[in-house]
Amino acid sequence: MINYLWLVPALPLAGAAINAIFSRKMPRWLVSVLGVGSVGLSFLVALAEFFTVLGAGAQGVFNVSIYSWIPVGNFKIDVAFLLDPLSALMLLGVTGVGFLIHVYSTGYMAEDESYGRFFTYLNLFVFSMLILVLGSNYLLMYVGWALVGLCSYLLISFWFTRPAAAAAGKKAFITTRIGDFGFGLGVILIFVTFGSLNFADVFARAPQMFQLGAPIITTITLLLFAGAVGKSAQLPLYVWLPDAMEGPTPVSALIHAATMVTAGVYMVARSHVLFSLAPFSSEVVAVIGAVTALFAATIALTQMDLKRVLAYSTISQLGYMFLGVGVAAYGAGIFHLMTHAFFKALLFLAAGSVMHAMNGVIDMRQLGGLRSKMRWTYITFFAAALAISGFPLFSGFFSKDEILAQAFESGHIILWAIGLLTAGLTAFYIFRAFFLTFHTQARWTEDEGRKTESRHSPSSVVGHPSFHPHESPASMTVPLAILAVLAVVAGFVGMPSVMGPNFLEGFFAPVFGEAAAAIPAGTEWMLIGASVAVGLIGIGVAYWFYIASPEIPVNLAAQFKGIYTLLWNKYYVDEFYSAVFVEPGRRLAMFLWQVIDVQVIDGFANGLGRAMASFSGALRGWQTGYARAYALLMLVGTVIVIGWLMLR
Amino acid sequence: MLTSQFLTYVAFFVLSAIALIGAFLAVTLRNLVRAALGLILSFMGVAGIYFVLEAEFVAIVQVIIYIGAISVLILFAIMLTRGLMTSAASTQNSQWIGAAFVGMLMFAVLFFVAITTNWPLAQPHTISDLIPRLGADLVTTYLLPFEAVSLLLLAALIGAIVIARE
Amino acid sequence: MPILVPDINLRIIAPALIVTVTAIVVLLGELVTPAERKRWLGYLSIAGLVVAAFAAFSLWGANASGFSGMVVADNFGLFLTLTIALSAALSILLSIPFIHAHEIDQGEYYVLLLASVAGMIVMATATDLIVIFLGLELLSLPLYILAAFQREDTRSLEAGIKYFLLGAFSSAFFLYGIALVFGATGTTNLAKIAASLAQSAGSPMLSIGVGLLMVGFAFKVALVPFHWWTPDVYDGAPTTVTAFMSVAVKAAAFGAFFRTFQFALPALALDWRAVAAVLAVLTMTLGNVAALLQSNVKRMLAYSSIAHAGYILIALVAMSANGLSSALFYLLAYTVTNLGAFGAVIALSDGARERLEIKDFAGAAREHPLVALALTICLLSLAGFPPFAGFVGKFLIFGAAVETGWAWLAVIGVLNSLVSVYFYLRPVVQMYMSEPAEGWSGIRVAPLVALALLIAVISVIALGVFPAPAIALAAGGLIR
Repeated sequence: MINYLWLVPALPLAGAAINAIFSRKMPRWLVSVLGVGSVGLSFLVALAEFFTVLGAGAQGVFNVSIYSWIPVGNFKIDVAFLLDPLSALMLLGVTGVGFLIHVYSTGYMAEDESYGRFFTYLNLFVFSMLILVLGSNYLLMYVGWALVGLCSYLLISFWFTRPAAAAAGKKAFITTRIGDFGFGLGVILIFVTFGSLNFADVFARAPQMFQLGAPIITTITLLLFAGAVGKSAQLPLYVWLPDAMEGPTPVSALIHAATMVTAGVYMVARSHVLFSLAPFSSEVVAVIGAVTALFAATIALTQMDLKRVLAYSTISQLGYMFLGVGVAAYGAGIFHLMTHAFFKALLFLAAGSVMHAMNGVIDMRQLGGLRSKMRWTYITFFAAALAISGFPLFSGFFSKDEILAQAFESGHIILWAIGLLTAGLTAFYIFRAFFLTFHTQARWTEDEGRKTESRHSPSSVVGHPSFHPHESPASMTVPLAILAVLAVVAGFVGMPSVMGPNFLEGFFAPVFGEAAAAIPAGTEWMLIGASVAVGLIGIGVAYWFYIASPEIPVNLAAQFKGIYTLLWNKYYVDEFYSAVFVEPGRRLAMFLWQVIDVQVIDGFANGLGRAMASFSGALRGWQTGYARAYALLMLVGTVIVIGWLMLR
Repeated sequence: MLTSQFLTYVAFFVLSAIALIGAFLAVTLRNLVRAALGLILSFMGVAGIYFVLEAEFVAIVQVIIYIGAISVLILFAIMLTRGLMTSAASTQNSQWIGAAFVGMLMFAVLFFVAITTNWPLAQPHTISDLIPRLGADLVTTYLLPFEAVSLLLLAALIGAIVIARE
Repeated sequence: MPILVPDINLRIIAPALIVTVTAIVVLLGELVTPAERKRWLGYLSIAGLVVAAFAAFSLWGANASGFSGMVVADNFGLFLTLTIALSAALSILLSIPFIHAHEIDQGEYYVLLLASVAGMIVMATATDLIVIFLGLELLSLPLYILAAFQREDTRSLEAGIKYFLLGAFSSAFFLYGIALVFGATGTTNLAKIAASLAQSAGSPMLSIGVGLLMVGFAFKVALVPFHWWTPDVYDGAPTTVTAFMSVAVKAAAFGAFFRTFQFALPALALDWRAVAAVLAVLTMTLGNVAALLQSNVKRMLAYSSIAHAGYILIALVAMSANGLSSALFYLLAYTVTNLGAFGAVIALSDGARERLEIKDFAGAAREHPLVALALTICLLSLAGFPPFAGFVGKFLIFGAAVETGWAWLAVIGVLNSLVSVYFYLRPVVQMYMSEPAEGWSGIRVAPLVALALLIAVISVIALGVFPAPAIALAAGGLIR
């Protein structure tokens, strides 16, 4: 089966290529069949590969070289895939969740005029993500890394007629590029240090060449983590993710919740050999993760846009994952990555279903009382909310608990406390969103919808002549139901030792090594109890605030106006960045443009600073346009070059 | 011997002065025809220096091509172009200070090289020996450059026709 | 006096010779070709280039030197010859409909282009400074004329004159440099220069000669601060000529640049490598930053071509076998990519009315999805975005720099290519994310342009996804 591994990325790529070239001439059903079918087939192959790995047990690490990509001298880079428990699980997640979201999209995007373009991008994304996950060297990982960024950009700006969407795409692109630069430097440094980019070589050589805490390894890992911070939206580069919600909701679910944003976590887990050698870097990862988790959760407390609540929640949950991999609980981090993919994709898709029903309205102040109108959406959202809150025996309970337990056990008591507090906040904000959307009184009327600007899709208004909440079609509810089942049961593969066997730990053994000694049963129960208690308190407070006595939050907001405003404005980080980075950058560019170019360069060319108002007409760009000025500048350059060469 | 060396120095400085004065006139005179004549003067000075350096062939070529052909071409071009004859526009623009400064710098660098270099001396020869050797070299050692030049001239010819054709 | 029989080996110069003969045949054919059949002259030129390419290919591995050590048919030169022939053939494919639409379809266009190609091949295979200089002049002179070929357009004339004046200016420096190097070493032959320098120490005269040679090359490949002509000339010249110039001149001039500096002047490497490194940084940075500010596609691509010269210069600074092969690969990748980009720009033009402002591209994806896709791929490749040709090229060059201890240069290169993504994506954003501008309807892409575009885009993808054969070819392209 391992020989067919290449099919996993190849199928979505083929789907993307065919749709890119022919989708305008094909009927919609064919576009859907190609788009959804390719990912579906890819999932089936991935499933087979997964069982191959599972069956191989401790030998479950396969290096599949497809062909020699860049051979230079004695240094070779292959297009080669690494199939091990880590990548096998990621494959399942990407293709499985990806498939469900593709199916969902056939309903959600049914009336969009750029249907073919949407599926082209989506398939291309799945392909890119698979390359990122499967690549057996850092260069291939970088290829996937760059391509998912491009797809993300294209999909955020998908409805480009809305200025907010175009701006959000740009913001995402610019912000993640900062991180990518760090990642690129890290890859260069790996190449300089180890003379290879293959995971196998690098990870074999690192422990032999360097001791624990070697500065070079610390530098490499910090640079790599900078890439992760950008891609996985951690402090301080998280600002793009909330804005990315301008994209279609399936995109938010697939790229900005379930897969792409988790690439940073995957990368850290994949590079665990390096991170294990760099305790300082790991500490940085854990601290940034924990702080981001708390920070984003507090912002989520006050947001009124349902998708933005989920976006901040995603940032917060990614923080958990980084906390996990930062305290060397790599298996736990990936475990949470997996369960999060299920319940967060579900939350987004359910939110999308609400938007679909409410003609694009997503502001919770205009929702409410949808419980009876949309049964399936209601139930599945409820299941996901319980999962993310860490309600006992739901998937999030197990994965979050494992991260917190490992953080506690490794001596990071403060980080554990932050994580615990965040768990409470999480339960509160998600149930706040749940109650405000599905319970409480309806805050919409039949007429309101017509006035409301559609935020679902500019062109879909035609299909919704009246504002009439209804359950979404089966193409949307069936994926919701499947994800709900997964969100409920997926946690049982990684139970804490006091409750049962931890299959996942054994499964990951070929990658991360044998599990550490089990946590003492007493401590374990204590930690579980604390998590559960905090979660239940969060849910309870949400119920109390929004169902039992709805006047309390209003009073609180009035009483703590300062804090509320601060949270409502997301700590003013966007404004801060704009004032500190964007605006000075723009001014600097203008300054360089006007002073250096127009005045200094031209001035020099025209008699060392003589005023030359008569020039403005001839000014084109940087250039004066006068050959004599160019000749003089060339002469200056010549004198400098030969003067330098002579004086050396 | 001393006299001959002395005379050589005198000749060199006189010819250099002619070349420099000619060049100066060429860039400062407002009337283009006069400027072209200044250029010819400069070329003649340079040709004289070649003679002093015993590079007789180069000197003759300098006279034939630069003075005989190129300068005449320039004069033709000036006379055939309407308005250029009578125009008395300033020959200077605001750039001249910068240009003079950088030119001086360039000169300083080259001057430094000229005085610090241990110049190799050419073998003594007679002119009857030189020209046949030059001719032979052009069809043997330098055959390829020679052919490349002919192709270059062809391209220039075609280019001139393309540009000039109405 | 006895005249020795010169060592004439026509086989060595067969590619240049075939191109020259084709040029003369086209020149004669022009006389007998009726106005409406002028495109046949274009086909004839392409046929000549194909034959020349075959000749070059048949010489692969011959490693023969001839004409008193003036030229060599080594794999380095042949690789460049193939690249130049490819760029010329693609440019002519683009030109045939273009010059027809602009009513400048005269046979001389092809004759001049082929003469320039002959000069480029001579330059890339020359092993003597005199021949390098003549190749340089032979490639430049027809380009001055071609830049001014749209004589109705004053901007085209201006471009031609500007290019000519500044080109002559830089040629003087180059020639002076040759004279000084000759004065210091007593020879213009590259191998003899290397031998002479291996024994004797440098002198100020030699340093200045080397500096002036560098200036001459720097002008031709448009390195900062000798790049000033580039935006104006690229902007004013006919788009097809710009496309041809931007790639083929770089291949030829960089070929001679590498040959001269890496092969003949390694003794002075300590000095010129530092200068070249600084020039590379300046060139990359200024090219990319200036490109950020452009609203015209041709000007943007002009600054982009400046930036790319900076990347290639890194390979020279590395001064290693891998550096050399990476530069060859990069030049090939850049050739197909940039021609693809220009081809798409030409494909989107409306007859004689060209769309050159970036905002003119609004909504092109809706009207011409495949051309838009092609342009996107080429621009991403220029930006060094994986998995296209430009990415592999940049990877090879940066890798060569890192290997030889110039990691900081590679870092600046990476930073620059990250910045460059912004301006390369601007036309893409316009095409895909804007409402269509009016005037798109009824534009049909000429079949020849489509063909050139197809070849270019397939090459861009193939060189990115399956670069191994080309890398192997380039790695065999070591200087004799």
